[in-house]
Parts: sequence; C-alpha cells; structure tokens
Amino acid sequence: MEEGNGLSTATLANTGIIQVTKKCKSCDHCTSICPTGAIHGKLGQKHHIDPKLCINCGQCLINCPFGAITDTSMVKEVKKALADPSKYVVVQEAPAVRVALGEEFGMDPGTNVKGKMYASLRKLGFDKVYDTEFAADLTIMEEGTELIHRVFKAVGAPGYESSGPLPQFTSCCPAWIKYAEDHYPAILPNLSSAKSPQQMFGAVAKTYVAEKLGVKPADMVSVSVMPCTAKKYECNRPEMIASGYQDVDYVITTRELADMIKEKGIDFNSLPNEEADRLVGASTGAATIFGVTGGVMEAALRTAYELLSGQSLGKVEFKSVRGQKPIREATVEIPIKDLGTTLPVKVCVVTGTKYVGRVIEDVLAGRSSYHFIEVMNCPGGCINGGGQPIRRDMY
Amino acid sequence: MSEVRGKVLKHGEQTRTMHWVHLVAFIILALTGIGFYFNIGFINNMFGGGANASMVHRWAGVVFVVGPALYILLNFERFARFVDTITTITKDDIGWLKTMGGYIPFLKGEVPPQDKYNAGQKMLGLIIIIGCLLLILTGFPMWLWRAVVPPAFLAFCYSVHFWVAAILILAVCGHFFLAAIHPKSRVEFASMMIDGYIDAEISAHHNEKWFNTLEEVKE
Repeated sequence: MEEGNGLSTATLANTGIIQVTKKCKSCDHCTSICPTGAIHGKLGQKHHIDPKLCINCGQCLINCPFGAITDTSMVKEVKKALADPSKYVVVQEAPAVRVALGEEFGMDPGTNVKGKMYASLRKLGFDKVYDTEFAADLTIMEEGTELIHRVFKAVGAPGYESSGPLPQFTSCCPAWIKYAEDHYPAILPNLSSAKSPQQMFGAVAKTYVAEKLGVKPADMVSVSVMPCTAKKYECNRPEMIASGYQDVDYVITTRELADMIKEKGIDFNSLPNEEADRLVGASTGAATIFGVTGGVMEAALRTAYELLSGQSLGKVEFKSVRGQKPIREATVEIPIKDLGTTLPVKVCVVTGTKYVGRVIEDVLAGRSSYHFIEVMNCPGGCINGGGQPIRRDMY
Repeated sequence: MSEVRGKVLKHGEQTRTMHWVHLVAFIILALTGIGFYFNIGFINNMFGGGANASMVHRWAGVVFVVGPALYILLNFERFARFVDTITTITKDDIGWLKTMGGYIPFLKGEVPPQDKYNAGQKMLGLIIIIGCLLLILTGFPMWLWRAVVPPAFLAFCYSVHFWVAAILILAVCGHFFLAAIHPKSRVEFASMMIDGYIDAEISAHHNEKWFNTLEEVKE
C-alpha cells in the first residue's frame, strides 16, 4: 500500500510483523508456542520466522524467555504525526488495553485504568481520544445480524438466499483470519464478513467522524492502541480503505503506549480519570467483554437472542461459553418470533488457533453441528495478546 | 600403604576412569556450550553447526551424569569417604587457606599438614559437586521440558546454568594449572591421569595427615 504508514503490504509479507533478533539464545521455547509452525530452528540454533506462515500473533514474543523476539514498531510514525500541526490525530483503544496498561505502572493485573489511559493519551497530544468499544458494538450488531440471516437461510426462510453458509465463524481476530486464509481457504465463506472493531472504527473515523469534525480524511491520522501485534498487519491490508485512505494508519501495542507515556515523563498513577470523547464514545457492556475468550460469542448470542426473540435477556449470561478450555461448546434455545418456533443454536468457542484445525475439518466434511464458532488465536483471548505487558511469573 | 618403587597409590583405577570420563565430557560441554550460547561460528562448525553442537552438548551431559553416577554406585564407600574428607574442615584447613598452601608468594607462614586432599582441593571438590548438581538440575529442564516450563523459569535455568558453568570452567582451569603445570604440584597430574601413583616423599610432604594414616596401617 502506498499511503499510510509506509509499511507496504509487500514489505510486510517479506519481513512479517514479528522478528527474531540477534539476542536469540536458541532455547527453542518459541517453537512450542507458535500455533502455525512458522518458527524454524532447532535447540542450539538461531531461530527465524517464516513470514509466510507467521500469523503475527506475537505469542512467541511475549513468551520468549530472553526478550529476543520483537515486533515492527510504528511508534516513530505516531510521534511524527503528533508533532505535525497539519495532521489531526485520533486514537482508539481496545477493551483489553485498559485492564493491562496499569501493570506497566506497577498496578495489579486487571486494574481498570480506563480514565487514566484517556488522560495520558490527551497528554501525549492526540486530538481526539475515542474508544474501540463503540466499534465493537458495531461489529457485534453486524455479526449478530449476519448470523440471523445465515440461520434464516438454513431454515429456508425466503429472502435470505444470498446469505452465507453455517456455521458462521467470527472475524475479529486478524491472526485467525490469516491462519484461515493460509491454511483453510475453503472455509472463508463461513467467516463473518464483518470487519474487526479496529477496522470498523478506522473506517468510521475517516468517513463519518471526519465529516462531523470537518477534517479532510487526508489530514486525519488514525491510530489504534491494541493488545495485539497482528493488528499491525491487519491495518495494512489493502482492502481496508473505506475512505480511500488507509482506515487505520498506525497501530501501537499496550507495551508501546506505556513506553511512550514513560518517555514523555507523564506520572501515570497521578493522572485524573477522564472520559473518552463522546462523538463515537458511547458503548455497551457487550463490547467490553470482547477482549476475553468467549466474549464475542456471548455478545453475539445476546444480540441474536434479542433480535430473534424480540425479548430482552435482562441479566442472563452465557457463562458456559467463557472459560479457559481450548474448545468449549454450548447450546442455546432461542425462540424465533418470526418463525414461531424455538431453535437450538449450537455454538463453539475456540481459544488458540492450534486447536481450530479439527473444528474446521469437521465443518468442511459436513460433520459439524455448530451454528456459530468463535475463534481467538491467543490463549484466553485478546487479554493475553502479543502486544500486552510481558509477565515474568515463575509458575 | 602400597609401595611401588617409593610411590603410594593415591587414586584407584575406577576413580581415574571416572575422572577421565568426567573431564572429557566437561571439555566437550564447555566447548559446545560456549559455541552455541555465544553463537561462535568456528566452535559450532567443529561440531557441524549450532544445532549439532547443542545435540553433542546434551549427550555429553548424559555422559557427565551417568559416568559419576555409575562410579558412585560401584564405589559408594569410597565416594562417601571422599565426601566426608572434603566436608570435614579442620583448623589445619583454615591454616592452609590463610597461607593458600604457600602458592601465593606474599602470603608467608607455615603450611599445616593436610589430608588426602588439601583445603584448596576440598573447596574445589565442593564447588564441583554443587556445581554439577546445579548444572544437572537446570540443564535437563532446558532440554527435556523446554516446551512446557514457564519462560521465566527457563530464563532462570539458563542464567544459573551459564554462571555455574563459568565458575566451574574457571575453577577447572585453576585446578589444571596447579595439578599439571605448577612446578610445586604438577606431580599430581600423573597420579590422577595415568597410573594412580605418586612419590611417597611428595605425598608425605603435601598430604601428611593422610600419609601418616597409611604408615600406621603398615606398621
């Protein structure tokens, strides 16, 4: 791609987002972490990553005992944009960032520092501080509606003939998307056509938001703070240009944001709690749970339930799709008002791309009974993404 | 006391064999370890590259464990006596350490009589036993459980393994210098590396307490 962050698709295809540095001690731990076998090298031999196989998830990076694996940084470009008065720089942050950023400043894991995060971003010079949660709501409405259409097509309801096949796979995780493209292209029609929240926000920012603010999309720089290294690859995908410009120009990780805050000398812990800018700042609880495995599924099910049954779910939670087991399944009885019947919707949640192969093969062979399958590459979901603070627990 | 042309038997055949096996394994381990840890091309290439150097390192590690383990099983009493000797620190040992056995020119003073192993050798023996245990306890997880242990634990194992190996390499270099090069004590070399015997006169001087027990047995 010519515009945007200067990291062309061809360059990224050649170098990838994740690289092994000279600090590699040849311990071979990373090969057991990599879900796609993209890391080559034996014990005692310097390792390297095949960018064609790598899905950019960064799990090897956060699990390298020696910190010898790194990701392509866009921090320099972000700083340049912030320093350029002709640029209008907007930023979004994924739900998983706010509960991890505090770790970099000595807080307990899981501490929600949302308010301080917004304040720190304003101190760094971002013109508008938005939140990805709004776009996560958009994603879930899209995915939920798409699921309903696919279900209606499957039961033969008229008017839904052009909808995609069942089961529907989620499409929020860019590492999972690349894995599907690289290894199981036949499954792509089953993937939700919805963009990820990051990319939806980018598209909204440079179209709707730019128009409302009176800013030319060409002058707007869209930055996202993500718990994920694969998002850096995703933002460079050539199809992500809703406004004619790259939807999301730069992605920085939770770690990189913490580094920027420290470098600027901002006393993070003393910052007041601020709110996100409200133009697209409103969000629901459905978006917040995106960052954890089963969260997208739960949010989609709640949406689908409400749309299909016409009833509000109240405080009911689909807790059976949460948890840490790599593959979890549940059946949800959803009354469908339009069809006058109740449909058992069978769902599956996969956390860890290395476990998804068997599920896909069942779908391709016609053996799968699922209607909706959530796949997140990182164990536990985005909360354990490759861009999160690196833990050094001995257990 | 066994006397062959004025010599005494200091190290039995199995002890000498174990020492040889351990020494050769140690040299291979040190060389290959340095080679692939620091990615030194010419060392790695001697073994066919880093991966092969690592493979040689791991199997030399097995020899490094199995050699002494077999020796201990077959010579448990002898090993127990050795451990007893090196862990028994007497006033004479402190005296030896204060004068460093007379090896350091500016440390003057009478060197007290020593056991079969002098205080320096006792320290070396302890360093080697503790060091080997640490190398084994960290080395095998680095090899066999590298895929399942937490990264922080793996990094901890590498750090311990590296620093213990560095200390042992330096200690063994010092041991080699004193036992094979230093004119005052190089006669020890043949005793451990060749036939096990040492001149009775030298032994009576360097290991007086042990030598006297041998004479007492004869008398």
